[in-house]
Amino acid sequence: MQNVIKKPIQRNKATDLLVHQILKGLAILAASFIFVIAGVILIKGLTPFITNNGGIGSVNAWKFLTGNTWLIGDTFASNLYSVGFIIIQTLYVVSLSLLISFPVGVLTALFIAKIAPKKIAEFLRTVIEILASIPSIIYGLFGAGFILKLVYDFSAILGYQSKGGNSVLSTVIILALMTIPTITTISEVAIRSVDKSLIEGSLALGATETQTHFKVVLSAAKSGIFTSAILGVGRALGEATAVSLVAGSRRSGLSFDILDTTSTLTTTMLEGMKDSAGLDYDIRFSVGIVLMAVILIVNFTLNYIKKKVGQVDVK
Amino acid sequence: MKKILFVFALLLTMFVAACQKSDEFNLDAKITVYTRDTTSGTRDGFMSGIGFSEAAKNDSVLVTGFVIRDNTAILNAMTIDEYGVGYISLSSLNDTVKGLHFNGVEPTEANVINNTYQLKRPFMWMIRADGDFPGGANSPVEQLVKAFVAFLGTSDAADIINNAGAIALPTSVTWDSIKNQHPITQQNNSGVTVRFGGSDSIQKVAEALTQAFTAKAGNFVAEHDHTGSGDAWKRTNGDTKDQTVGKDVGFSSRPFTTTESANVTSSQTGQLSWDAIVAIVHLSNPISNITADSLKKIYNGTYGTWADVPQS
Repeated sequence: MQNVIKKPIQRNKATDLLVHQILKGLAILAASFIFVIAGVILIKGLTPFITNNGGIGSVNAWKFLTGNTWLIGDTFASNLYSVGFIIIQTLYVVSLSLLISFPVGVLTALFIAKIAPKKIAEFLRTVIEILASIPSIIYGLFGAGFILKLVYDFSAILGYQSKGGNSVLSTVIILALMTIPTITTISEVAIRSVDKSLIEGSLALGATETQTHFKVVLSAAKSGIFTSAILGVGRALGEATAVSLVAGSRRSGLSFDILDTTSTLTTTMLEGMKDSAGLDYDIRFSVGIVLMAVILIVNFTLNYIKKKVGQVDVK
Repeated sequence: MKKILFVFALLLTMFVAACQKSDEFNLDAKITVYTRDTTSGTRDGFMSGIGFSEAAKNDSVLVTGFVIRDNTAILNAMTIDEYGVGYISLSSLNDTVKGLHFNGVEPTEANVINNTYQLKRPFMWMIRADGDFPGGANSPVEQLVKAFVAFLGTSDAADIINNAGAIALPTSVTWDSIKNQHPITQQNNSGVTVRFGGSDSIQKVAEALTQAFTAKAGNFVAEHDHTGSGDAWKRTNGDTKDQTVGKDVGFSSRPFTTTESANVTSSQTGQLSWDAIVAIVHLSNPISNITADSLKKIYNGTYGTWADVPQS
């Protein structure tokens, strides 16, 4: 009798153990891809600095990080690459786009979460979610087909001549459009989860609704809103396709002129990749290392600031 | 709230601004120079065509502030940028932009084929001497190469060449009408490897051609290794022809020089197609003809405004 009961229990335990092991294995496999990817990029990206690249000579790492011209000399025959100015252009473009997308995104989130009637809020939420899922190439086509002309004509009316609209401004507009949905979605969750008692307390003390929204709700949701900005910056830093269609691929000289052409680390990696070979191909992996480093540094900095400012707990 | 209103106001102004536009062409406006990336074959053809070969693979000799875009994007940019100048392959030219006459000749396919339009380069082929193919005289490789060369003169090949963006020479011969002269194509050739090389600008066209031809010729293996026009002769009839880099068919994106043609008989080389490039500007630009010298001076920065460019 005992045996009859024992056997199914043992079998169940064995199944549990098996399932646990399989899931564990899959988790390890998934997590290990980060090491595989980072490893491949790292190895490929370091070769231009340590080998002589088939007779061209190795790339000087210091000049690579600080220089002001992407490539001096002939493609496929020169080792004088540098991304110094591109790093700064990238950060410049991303911060400008955040300057637009952050206020717009957060205020939209406030409207959806606190002010809009339920039906409108539901509708807006769906629209924002759809916007967030639009592929970046669609934003790029919209940029190339519409924003470029808009920026060109707009600057012409102001008396400036832009380069067919290929400019910092177009890039910033596209990046802002792409990051607004990210910022809105995450900010909205943070704003909605602000403790009701805080709001009621503020209203009971005689504050108007607007005062409560801006002074109590937004500051209580600070931490979550900051997270949305971090993710927004992440999306903007990593965007390549859409940006390459409107940036104009600046190849030398740092410029902060919003109507001049620009380039980012991602567009530099992407452009001409199809027809490239040898060092000109490998160097794109080095740019990839720089991009990963920039993203890590920006994320750590923002997280540090977030810890400093986000004192109020959000449930 | 103020911020939202400000952003809305800004967007509104931009929309209104986009609706109006002045029609005056300002000759004193700066020229915006558009170019392809240094890895582009079209850039190579254009720069050598205007006598500015040093800019083919080097951005630092170009005028400062140029814009890098690809073929379609340059075409699109010229519909927006009134003061821009760019270049595209002739096959993608349409009436949304103005294709400039080059040295007085209109950019049309007819003018390319009758050899009057000069902003172009020939795509040439060259094969090894008779009996000098791997496997000796009349080997499968030699017969396949001869068949391939015959295929290049057919309308089947012309379609492939035109699809790849080059301009094929006029022909009315079909492959079906001549394939019986090349019995080797009826066999199974999957064990035979033919080596193709030469110009990297032609690689795309050459690969499209061999891909189509290998299916018609017993699935032989086409091995592509394109290293530059200089190697077209060197690796088929020159000093490296018997080394491991040797080729059976070499392509060149320029005419063969007299030194190169010296030890080669006329049946060993021929022209595959033309690669024509056209300089384009916005439709409102008053200029309609341009010289190689003017283009070079625009691209190296000597001419900064459209008023500098001599009108002819």
